[in-house]
Amino acid sequence: MAVAIAAARVWRLNRGLSQAALLLLRQPGARGLARSHPPRQQQQFSSLDDKPQFPGASAEFIDKLEFIQPNVISGIPIYRVMDRQGQIINPSEDPHLPKEKVLKLYKSMTLLNTMDRILYESQRQGRISFYMTNYGEEGTHVGSAAALDNTDLVFGQYREAGVLMYRDYPLELFMAQCYGNISDLGKGRQMPVHYGCKERHFVTISSPLATQIPQAVGAAYAAKRANANRVVICYFGEGAASEGDAHAGFNFAATLECPIIFFCRNNGYAISTPTSEQYRGDGIAARGPGYGIMSIRVDGNDVFAVYNATKEARRRAVAENQPFLIEAMTYRIGHHSTSDDSSAYRSVDEVNYWDKQDHPISRLRHYLLSQGWWDEKQEKAWRKQSRRKVMEAFEQAERKPKPNPNLLFSDVYQEMPAQLRKQQESLARHLQTYGEHYPLDHFDK
Amino acid sequence: MAVVAAAAGWLLRLRAAGAEGHWRRLPGAGLARGFLHPAATVEDAAQRRQVAHFTFQPDPEPREYGQTQKMNLFQSVTSALDNSLAKDPTAVIFGEDVAFGGVFRCTVGLRDKYGKDRVFNTPLCEQGIVGFGIGIAVTGATAIAEIQFADYIFPAFDQIVNEAAKYRYRSGDLFNCGSLTIRSPWGCVGHGALYHSQSPEAFFAHCPGIKVVIPRSPFQAKGLLLSCIEDKNPCIFFEPKILYRAAAEEVPIEPYNIPLSQAEVIQEGSDVTLVAWGTQVHVIREVASMAKEKLGVSCEVIDLRTIIPWDVDTICKSVIKTGRLLISHEAPLTGGFASEISSTVQKLCRIEDYPFYKRGKQTKKSKLLGQAQWLTPVIPALWEAEEECFLNLEAPISRVCGYDTPFPHIFEPFYIPDKWKCYDALRKMINY
Repeated sequence: MAVAIAAARVWRLNRGLSQAALLLLRQPGARGLARSHPPRQQQQFSSLDDKPQFPGASAEFIDKLEFIQPNVISGIPIYRVMDRQGQIINPSEDPHLPKEKVLKLYKSMTLLNTMDRILYESQRQGRISFYMTNYGEEGTHVGSAAALDNTDLVFGQYREAGVLMYRDYPLELFMAQCYGNISDLGKGRQMPVHYGCKERHFVTISSPLATQIPQAVGAAYAAKRANANRVVICYFGEGAASEGDAHAGFNFAATLECPIIFFCRNNGYAISTPTSEQYRGDGIAARGPGYGIMSIRVDGNDVFAVYNATKEARRRAVAENQPFLIEAMTYRIGHHSTSDDSSAYRSVDEVNYWDKQDHPISRLRHYLLSQGWWDEKQEKAWRKQSRRKVMEAFEQAERKPKPNPNLLFSDVYQEMPAQLRKQQESLARHLQTYGEHYPLDHFDK
Repeated sequence: MAVVAAAAGWLLRLRAAGAEGHWRRLPGAGLARGFLHPAATVEDAAQRRQVAHFTFQPDPEPREYGQTQKMNLFQSVTSALDNSLAKDPTAVIFGEDVAFGGVFRCTVGLRDKYGKDRVFNTPLCEQGIVGFGIGIAVTGATAIAEIQFADYIFPAFDQIVNEAAKYRYRSGDLFNCGSLTIRSPWGCVGHGALYHSQSPEAFFAHCPGIKVVIPRSPFQAKGLLLSCIEDKNPCIFFEPKILYRAAAEEVPIEPYNIPLSQAEVIQEGSDVTLVAWGTQVHVIREVASMAKEKLGVSCEVIDLRTIIPWDVDTICKSVIKTGRLLISHEAPLTGGFASEISSTVQKLCRIEDYPFYKRGKQTKKSKLLGQAQWLTPVIPALWEAEEECFLNLEAPISRVCGYDTPFPHIFEPFYIPDKWKCYDALRKMINY
């Protein structure tokens, strides 16, 4: 009996030592939160140590009653590389991108801007039913897209057309989707701006907000299992981040160790709802550590800052199989959509400030000018050329017919069920008699 | 120590006995019991609580799929999952508590066999589970998600209806999540009450783009689950939880498929068609025997198996033959799937003068129309056109379902559409 007790004492001592060793291995991360690698195992249970034994948290005891004060006055700082005049602040942060790449960034943003103006107008003229512009947020799109591999999978919300633009999605196909004509790869099924491109690894947009977030996490998990060396990037706005799906996605990504970049475009508004009514904490970046996710806040109107953050996040996400959260601060210069008039809830002065004083396109242009890679002559020529390209694509898209109405019925399932085929036939018969009341002239025969 | 334990046990037993005795002595207790259970004793009441409302009827041992083994429903599910993970290296299983084997033991042994990256727990979040599963499927890998109870599938309703079901259609077939299967325990279990007994198939029946499948037995479950997993559309596979242990039969060890969207006529008959799915199939089977015995009525019993897309042809052909239809499900009556079947059948089998379709029993109307009594084979081409199918329904279509209430706890024996309610409805149809 005495031997047994002595042996037990020794055993406890050894386990106590290994516990200490484990604690040392845990590096406290930023803000004192421990990040444990590998995932927590069942601790050796020793009830006689005066240390917390709870499985739910790795922390010390405290005997002072103290609530943690959320810090929203001095929140997570905003990483930037360029100042508002496009000058590099800290040369060691300059990504030193080659001229072609920076020009590609610039041209993608400006071409998108031009396309936005023309398509917004076309909705106003009744040519397309709906449109959403990207004014002010072009930097978040191209900065992040440039930092990814072309095969990295993109899940977007609806204001990320610049990612497709950077990946050279043709104007013809942007227009085809907005017009729902026969060239639309989506077969005319969705409202405008619900783009998708398998070739360019851009998953088709859907209207419900934040639903793409847990999906992106699943895709990242599958990419990890496939050893694909691929990252998944998931874009969403600060409004969508309030959805339950966002919480689900963050938690799953962290617990299941997925190589994913969560990219939040915090543009100040969710339709008319300002951020002060969307959340009360320190934005979206502050939520990351709550899930155990590496997080950063960047100046979304600084293409290089977005690029640097995304590049590093991508490298580490793939290497370490962990999620990263980037909150890109920006401003939605345009209305939410063609169904919105934002003068109803914000001042024109506020909008003008961002348009004139802090715009991703002008900041990058200043950089280009200071590098000697661009000038007024090229600017004029490019504006003319890009406008012409957009107008050509626009006119062609207008002229094309819509897809055959039979395409109303396909792709519900991989194979058409018998009952649906009967419904398709009943529409065909109906049109034989009542066809004159339908806009069949605009549709492919 | 042992003496103390024995003494404690004796004291506990004594206390229990005392409690019972105390209850017996309560005035009125005997009368109350007498009202509800005329000849009951305490022991009888306890047994009655455990008697199921159905008797599982195993199908004959299948011979065409190789060696079989006696399996209950959860074991047949494990077998199907085992086959899937063995065959398909991309397949993964995930959900709440699946790692240790699952709360119904459907995933026992799989994590050890296939690894923790393939069989793993997720956080407690159904919308996350289904969204995550969709994402896996979008990359082409096979995702088998478990929702712990069908009652908890509703947080995932948006992901299922707005996303999974519409993925292929809205992208013009650029993307799809066809390799997603969602499995979930379903249906009444004797004591499940509101949140462990639901049959939500009707909510999903209204959603084009997904398939909903419900097996009646272990053999059916394995074949149907394998078909769901291999099907190129997102599927929901509801597993009648009361059958997990109660149903056991010979099931092939090797994989095999049972086709989706095909109902099965498990017993042929000529006077009335009975349609059900899941546990309720065994109830109506018993009703068929009762009908034969007490009324001399010959019932055709059909297991629908796939709720959507459902096998309209098999049901309609049967009703053309019998002239009477009874549909039964545990889910509430209003908006339940029986209403869809009823509506479709009455439209496709309406009164119409068509000489190629005849029926077993002659009615006044058919006599007037000069039709013969015996059956002739249905000509398939004629099914295509809406106008050409006809039947003189002998009686209004009967639906025997749960009441329009949440699923109650103590009142379950009164709530469920048991064999007596089905028998009564059948009797009324015959006498119509």
